[in-house]
Amino acid sequence: MNFAKTFNPITIVAVAAIYIAVPMLFGADNYVMSLIIASLVIGGIALSWALLGNLGGMVSFGHAAFFGVGAYTSAVLSMQYQVPVFIAMLLGGVGAIVAALAMLPVLRLRGPYFALAILAYAHIFRILASEWTSVTGGAAGIANIPRLPVLFGVDFSGKTGNYLVILTIVLVFAVAYALIRRSPHGLALRAMHDSDDATRVVGVNNTLLKGMMLMVSAFMCGVVGAFNAHYINFLEPDYAFSALWVTIPIVAAIFGGYRTITGPLIGAVVVYLVDQLIVKNILPSGHQMVLGLVLVAMIVASPDGLLALLRKLGRKKDAAT
Amino acid sequence: MTELILQAVYSGLLQGGSYALIALGLALVFGAMKVINLAHGELVLLSAYIAYTVESKLGWNPAAAIPLSVVIVSATSALVYLIVGRIKTNREINSLTLTYGIGVILTNLILMTWKADVRATNSTWMQEAIVVGPFYSMRSEVLFFGVAVALIAGLWWWLSRSWYGRAVRAVSSNRDAAKLMGINPGRTELVSFIVAGILAAFAGVALFSYGVITPAYGGVLTVKAFIITVLAGMGSIPGVLIGAILLGVAESLTVTLASSALQELSGMGLFLLVLFVMPNGLFGASRRRG
Repeated sequence: MNFAKTFNPITIVAVAAIYIAVPMLFGADNYVMSLIIASLVIGGIALSWALLGNLGGMVSFGHAAFFGVGAYTSAVLSMQYQVPVFIAMLLGGVGAIVAALAMLPVLRLRGPYFALAILAYAHIFRILASEWTSVTGGAAGIANIPRLPVLFGVDFSGKTGNYLVILTIVLVFAVAYALIRRSPHGLALRAMHDSDDATRVVGVNNTLLKGMMLMVSAFMCGVVGAFNAHYINFLEPDYAFSALWVTIPIVAAIFGGYRTITGPLIGAVVVYLVDQLIVKNILPSGHQMVLGLVLVAMIVASPDGLLALLRKLGRKKDAAT
Repeated sequence: MTELILQAVYSGLLQGGSYALIALGLALVFGAMKVINLAHGELVLLSAYIAYTVESKLGWNPAAAIPLSVVIVSATSALVYLIVGRIKTNREINSLTLTYGIGVILTNLILMTWKADVRATNSTWMQEAIVVGPFYSMRSEVLFFGVAVALIAGLWWWLSRSWYGRAVRAVSSNRDAAKLMGINPGRTELVSFIVAGILAAFAGVALFSYGVITPAYGGVLTVKAFIITVLAGMGSIPGVLIGAILLGVAESLTVTLASSALQELSGMGLFLLVLFVMPNGLFGASRRRG
């Protein structure tokens, strides 16, 4: 494997700059920092969604389930069982894997059936969270979820600390995604895209691989959900399982190009910031409609993302001259 | 206790009529175009809100909204077709995200136009009690169950006897062969979307006449329609009616015996059970498994 290509000096410098420059520039401004953190949260979900869509070939409308289960698992473990927050966050990801295990029978279904079944599952987990009051606090929600702690002398509870943590989570996931894509499994998954049957004939266990991708994706989304719970310190079923956690990441991933790794992340930052800073001021209620419009326009014009669209337009211009 | 259960079964049966209309629309479009329209529930909801407007602004009976609903909803459905038809590559996956996006647009349009409040009919004529033997129901429930059965019979006649209905079935079973027989698949798909819109319009007015509606209800309706098509298996109209009634009865029994909050879980329970035991549905023969 070619490490030099992935981790070339420019990337390392850029990453270091993001770690240091952003807190130095905006660290004092709570509003800007909260926008950045929220867009990284969206970016994390978008990345996990794109991994399942790109490598697994599965469109999921149920990522709200993983997000919510991860959030609740981590909140409940850290509050009722005094599990340290960072460990609880990882266990939140494990909780999302358990939710994904419950979805495995759905892998028998293909294409649109899978997508709808997983949408149905998301409804179920929301109902469970509102009805299982002894653990989740029901519709009233959970307040005072512990903040991120002080670790190795660094205080992670403030805005800057939160930023460093979510940035690290997203970067680690991006690297993991890159490693999976390059591994033999990644090759098998890409082959599966072209022909399910042919891949099976050469001895690849399709269903097992798809199930693995579902679990990897669930884990990522669950950890991001858990982070978010400790970041905003409050959870309720309608928030944790909101359709918004499906819509924005899908729009972000499609907008940035879901077949790439950086696409969903860039898409998340752009889509979220435009939505919050511009659209929300023009359309206070129903500003999500614009997300739907962007999604429709992207699928019709260029389902492979904005970059592909620009490249296509560029080529047309070249041909014209 | 037995009376309560029988009453719940009766209510569920009546509810099943509108569920069947919604599910048939979803199945019809899927059959013709291999596209699951994730905005289908929102089309139904749009019709319900048109009925609300006709009642609250004009003071008419909600049933009077049906002609207007049919025109608007089938036109919207045709518009969905025109957008979906523009997808060039990888239609199966892209159409899902596309119709999901259309669903988001419609939900938010409904939210902006009619606000987030819960709406229900004020019509006393619709809510009057009708007694059939030992069973009670609202007039609207019996009325729209009858309408649904008539529409389903009409749909069955249309699919099996009329030229366009046969064309829809021909395109469903083999697109290329249908083309060779002189059928224009594009026009057939458009027709299937319009018919699905008409069914959705009736179902929406029915839902408003005996239930409550909120802007977020559309997604739930799509999931219910999907569960019914899984129960029924593809390509069987009586199967869809029975699946819809099963779902209606399961929900109404859950409300009577447990709690109304668990209503949606009962449908999911049925869905998982069928998925494990009979992956091809109760009546379908076609293949869904990978």
